[in-house]
Amino acid sequence: MLPDELKNKLRKMIAGAESPREKAIDVMFEIQELQGWMSDEAMVEAAELLGMTPLQLEELATFYDYIYRSPVGKYVIKVCDSTVCWLEGHQRVVDYICSRLGIPLGGTTADGLFTLLPVCCIGYCDRAPAMVINKRVFGELTTEKIDRVLAQLAQTADFSGWE
Amino acid sequence: MPRLIIDEREIEVPEGTKVIDAAERLGIVIPRFCYHEALGSVGACRMCAVKFVQGPFKGVQMSCMVDARDGMVVSTTDEEVVGFRKRVIELLMKNHPLDCPVCDEGGQCLLQDETVSGGHGLRRFPGPKRTYRDQYLGPYIKHEMNRCIHCYRCSRFYQEFCGYYDLGPMQIGDRLYFGRFSDGALESPFSGNLVDICPTGVYTDKTARFKLRRWDLQRAPSLCNLCSLGCNTVANGHYRGVMRIEARFSSEVNGYFLCDAGRFGFSYANGAEGARARPLSPAIAGAPASASAALDRAREALNDIAAKFGPGAIAVAGSGRNSLETQSMLDLVCKKRGWSGPVLFPTPSVRRKTLEAVKGLDSRIAVSMGDIEKSDFVIIAGADPLNEAPMSALALRQAARNGAPVVTIDSRPVALPCGFDHFPAAPRDIERYLAALVVKAVESEAAGFGKDAEAFYRHLKEVHENFEPPLGLARLCELLRESKRPVILCGTDAIPESTPAFVSGCARLLGLAGKKAGLFYLLPGAGSFGAAQLCGTEDKTFFEILEDIEQGLVRALVVAECDPFHDYPDRARLESALSKLELLVAIDYFDSQAVGCASIFYPASTIFETRSTYINQEGRVQVAERVHCGGAPIRGGNHPPRIYSGLVPGGDHLPAWKALGQIAGLIGADEASAQTFLPPALCPGEGKRVPMAKAGFPETPGFAGGSDGKAALNGDLFDLLTVEWMFGTSEFSVWSDSLDAAVSPPLMSINSKDAARIGLCDGDRVSVELEAGAFEIAVSVSDKTAEGVLVVPRHKELEWRKMKDFSVSVAADKVRKIGAK
Amino acid sequence: MPVYPQVLFKNRKPDRVATLDEYRESGGYEAVEKFIGGGIAHKEVIRLVGESGLLGRGGAGFPTGMKWAAVPDSSPFPRYLVANCDEMEPGTFKDRVLLHVDPHCVIEGMILAGYSFSASKAFFFVRPSYESGALILERELENARRAGFLGNRILGTDFCFDIVVHRSGGRYICGEASALLNAIMGKRPNPVKPPPYPTEKGLWEKPTVVNNVETLANIPHILRNGPQWFKTLSATPHGTGTKIYGISGKVSRPGAVELPIGTRLSEIIEQHCGGMAPGSKFKACLPGGASTRFLTGEHYDIPMDFEDLKKIGNRLGTAAIMVFDQNTCLVGATLNLLEFFARESCGWCTPCREGLPYMRELLRRIENGEGKEEYIPNLRLLCKEVWNSYCALAPGAAEPVVSLLDFFEDEVRQHISEKGCPFHAKADH
Ligand SMILES: Cc1cc2nc3c(=O)[nH]c(=O)nc-3n(C[C@H](O)[C@H](O)[C@H](O)COP(=O)(O)O)c2cc1C
Ligand code: SF4
Ligand code: FES
Repeated sequence: MLPDELKNKLRKMIAGAESPREKAIDVMFEIQELQGWMSDEAMVEAAELLGMTPLQLEELATFYDYIYRSPVGKYVIKVCDSTVCWLEGHQRVVDYICSRLGIPLGGTTADGLFTLLPVCCIGYCDRAPAMVINKRVFGELTTEKIDRVLAQLAQTADFSGWE
Repeated sequence: MPRLIIDEREIEVPEGTKVIDAAERLGIVIPRFCYHEALGSVGACRMCAVKFVQGPFKGVQMSCMVDARDGMVVSTTDEEVVGFRKRVIELLMKNHPLDCPVCDEGGQCLLQDETVSGGHGLRRFPGPKRTYRDQYLGPYIKHEMNRCIHCYRCSRFYQEFCGYYDLGPMQIGDRLYFGRFSDGALESPFSGNLVDICPTGVYTDKTARFKLRRWDLQRAPSLCNLCSLGCNTVANGHYRGVMRIEARFSSEVNGYFLCDAGRFGFSYANGAEGARARPLSPAIAGAPASASAALDRAREALNDIAAKFGPGAIAVAGSGRNSLETQSMLDLVCKKRGWSGPVLFPTPSVRRKTLEAVKGLDSRIAVSMGDIEKSDFVIIAGADPLNEAPMSALALRQAARNGAPVVTIDSRPVALPCGFDHFPAAPRDIERYLAALVVKAVESEAAGFGKDAEAFYRHLKEVHENFEPPLGLARLCELLRESKRPVILCGTDAIPESTPAFVSGCARLLGLAGKKAGLFYLLPGAGSFGAAQLCGTEDKTFFEILEDIEQGLVRALVVAECDPFHDYPDRARLESALSKLELLVAIDYFDSQAVGCASIFYPASTIFETRSTYINQEGRVQVAERVHCGGAPIRGGNHPPRIYSGLVPGGDHLPAWKALGQIAGLIGADEASAQTFLPPALCPGEGKRVPMAKAGFPETPGFAGGSDGKAALNGDLFDLLTVEWMFGTSEFSVWSDSLDAAVSPPLMSINSKDAARIGLCDGDRVSVELEAGAFEIAVSVSDKTAEGVLVVPRHKELEWRKMKDFSVSVAADKVRKIGAK
Repeated sequence: MPVYPQVLFKNRKPDRVATLDEYRESGGYEAVEKFIGGGIAHKEVIRLVGESGLLGRGGAGFPTGMKWAAVPDSSPFPRYLVANCDEMEPGTFKDRVLLHVDPHCVIEGMILAGYSFSASKAFFFVRPSYESGALILERELENARRAGFLGNRILGTDFCFDIVVHRSGGRYICGEASALLNAIMGKRPNPVKPPPYPTEKGLWEKPTVVNNVETLANIPHILRNGPQWFKTLSATPHGTGTKIYGISGKVSRPGAVELPIGTRLSEIIEQHCGGMAPGSKFKACLPGGASTRFLTGEHYDIPMDFEDLKKIGNRLGTAAIMVFDQNTCLVGATLNLLEFFARESCGWCTPCREGLPYMRELLRRIENGEGKEEYIPNLRLLCKEVWNSYCALAPGAAEPVVSLLDFFEDEVRQHISEKGCPFHAKADH
């Protein structure tokens, strides 16, 4: 069950749109903000708020890259694997994060903190290799930088201080 | 009209014709997957590529996406496009499993055909095949996603064409998946069409799964006789059983599609050996006998009765299930032998409404479902299309998709697969709403109406005097005024007797106001139009025959494809009357209750075993061809009992009309053709409408309501209306176990205000006490149900047959709550 | 290093976003004041932009004035504008930089574009990884509103116009204009073929114009300084305006630079990006994003303009230059691109949905040393055939493959004959 407070917020958001469906992505992002991913129950409730059938919302949810229909960690680390990052050694970044977190690509750490996924070009090619964690981007990755980011997130659960 | 050249042949086609269709007119069928005439073009599969050599476009284009234009020169055989189409096949086969040998679509698979015709044989692609997990889609449709070629036909049909949103495309790229949010039965009652529309075997018919190959089937054009629309079908027989029903294209009637009741409601025909194996009842013979012995026996017994009490003591009854042949024979038998009847309607009110409806039509105003799709305003008065005639709801949706406003005026909480305005109106108020709509829409033209029309127009004005139009009606009046092709769709079930004629008058007024107005009735059964043609206004109904039996005037009753136990609303009275009979002869293919208590039973052939004619509710004469010769189906590896005779086991039955003719001694055993006795006026040729006399305005238009709608509402009294449901109420639902899975439990609809007043909540169980006893049912509370009515389905699980007629009044204190949700 | 007039990047700061005040000091919102506040006919805006010769910066290079003029006078209201900041094509990041440099330049451009065809609402469509840009924009929109440039009765006139930020769920195809409209409406973002064109029936069946962010950012400057001025900014006689080039890959200083359109590739790399990265030699580049063709050393001096690239059978696209050096395996690079396109195919049409994974599979086998000679003609044919796809995604995907086979066939054959990637030992990717 979604909390009433969130539901009211979503309702307000939807009311301001040209048509309710326009807010489908925003609604799902808000829910993910709270619970990380879109569970079946959340899908059903969100669809109702949006005046859609669960299937109609699923048609969208499964289309997009940033909507998760299975549980993910609190931080979803997406390492860019497109051309420029590939050129600049994205594989090293992936391998390093895998070994540091002890998970394969696509896996989630046992403490539920991190999930590691590949992602298409995130538009930071000038700072390749790059990754995005919950919509925050980190570029010019080195092992030291990765260490610092992961450590800070694990400890303080705080993004501040990064680009 | 554009003129173009395709493969060196010239053709002229109407403006807006796609090149793919233009080619088809020349007999050139360009391969396609996503394109379907009913769904339009979307250019997804890229299979229909052709080369434009001259004209406004050049090069390779999709023929489904390009309108034919003057001066185009098109090649479908150009090397480049042939190569490209072959590649598309290769791409689709890249992931398609080679499971044709175990696929039900095999032999009727578009993908198979086009793979072969395109010449793709060897796999070049070195990678693995993609696989998917399938979903459970309910009792009728099997899902096999690995076979999918992603043409989007299923989701476009399901969502755009039908208006249901529980099946659609998910995922992206080559992981694209068509299915539901989660496992579960498809919600659309048109889901069976997925089987027809899928170009390969993703959706197959579970009722026919692993039973057949297309080339092993006996296929014949047939008709659906579940409701009065008469949708065109192809019936598939195998080893004397019906295997499956497919839709058959008809531009005027059902288009390309069928409803699930019609598609899956055939298993009664395969259980007919149950009825056919029934021995003669001991009351006459005391021992099992052959069917032909039953015929002789019946003839003798009826002769005895005629001799003892006169021929008038024998009555014959048919029903809305009868073919035109059977109805005509019933008529002939009574004329020739002086028997009472024929009785073709259960009660006087059903007869009157049906007759009024048929009388209200004439060729200038009767419209088909095809016309409804093209209409620009639809009023539904006293009908529940989805439940009474499902395919008409699909036609309404197409009208709505083309921009037509749809208005329903009915006491039921009508649901339609399209947007519509619903005015909940008790039966007695339907005319008032209609009058309010129509008067405003024709007002400005009223001066030019002729004499009859003016009288009716004045009547309309009186009807809606003092009537306070509900919110939203004024806007609809305006739209109706602007419309050019409005249609009124009217039911004949949960409405007052005066309404059919009233509606016909309204349609005619709209016509006089310069519109191409249309009128479309729903009738009680597949044979009702024919019955109305043969039935005089004074003819008896089953109700009067019961009286005659009670008074001893009728001693013997012959029921032909008629089960009064199903059709008649007062079970107790029926039973006591029938017990007074000396002889009950039943001719039927259902193992009905009447068959069970008949003294003599003769098994009749089904629509699949004999050529039969039906006239649908708009007066169109259609023929169901014989699919196979009857007999006990061979099923499950069990051979039917070996009887050493020349007869097919279970095959000793006749069409009802032949059995009747022989029982009455009118025809011999070798009579083959019904043509000799069918009324010529009803035989205009297949697919044509019967000639209809010019209909006028109702002479003395009745009006169901009082002068003031409010006064008519009596807080203490409910109108209890019994109605049809798509599944669970018809005889086909009773006798086709294939439909069981779709039947939902009965519910009584009641308006929320009424419910609050008598202390009911949604889901409560109530007992409704009628004069002849009570029935129990759960209630469904909604403000879409009219105030002052209780609506109950004539459901097979409900003992509702305790009523004098199909609708009665019930005092509020007779509706007692007996349990909460 | 030659220095050129900075138009879009005039207010570029090394470490922060330009403020509204800074933007105004540099002449910002003068065009809004002059044209909207001054009540100059909206047709005049279209005329001037048309005259400037501004070509769309989203990749297709469609004349902007012509697009706006395509909204019929008689068409219904409301009308919508969409700023396309999906920018998901590998190598492309110019719109992101622009947004972080001077958001008001984009906002003013949107207001003027909206005014030109009487739109009342605009959507700023932005991808998830640009959340920081989206937040900047939302903040600055509020500032613009407060300053009276946005919202009801702008500058006291009858013109009402507002901008909302629409966040995407993240897919490359959403950048395609018609798919973008579906995405905004909350439908599956499959593209839709015209007719009708969005300018007639776009969002909710109402006239809608879709423009790239950089295209829009040019508008205030054109209107303030006139079309003639705009034309003089170009390095070539046929080009107009400046262009933001986004350079990435094996150069010393990757990044976004604003230069006269038509600046030579050699100059861009050597003068504006600090030359090739240490130890790197130019082997090839993709001159305009992932859906353009490899450009080899032969054309190292080419003016980077729409026309000049067209002449050599290539495209300026989004002017996102990805530079590859002598150690880059171009089979690997192409495979990587195909991986992207196949993953991002919307799945609507067969050649793209099934054809791109087909090409990916063949390339993967070649790269892994399992390639066969017959894959080469098959790939060539597939490249031709995917041109019959529904939208421009798949034809774009074929471009790098075609040029790989045209210019680097030997490298491909080497993979096949040596049963492996010849670069594998040398490089670490
Ligand atoms: C697959 C595909 C992706 C595209 N992505 C973008 C994009 O991210 N940003 C963009 O401005 N245009 C993109 N375009 C181009 C748009 O369709 C459209 O032409 C452009 O936004 C129009 O703006 P302009 O006229 O200002 O260039 C894309 C086109 C295709 C076919
Ligand atoms: S080419 Fe076809 S499948 Fe690919 S993105 Fe365009 S429409 Fe979708
Ligand atoms: S039939 Fe033309 S593209 Fe599918």
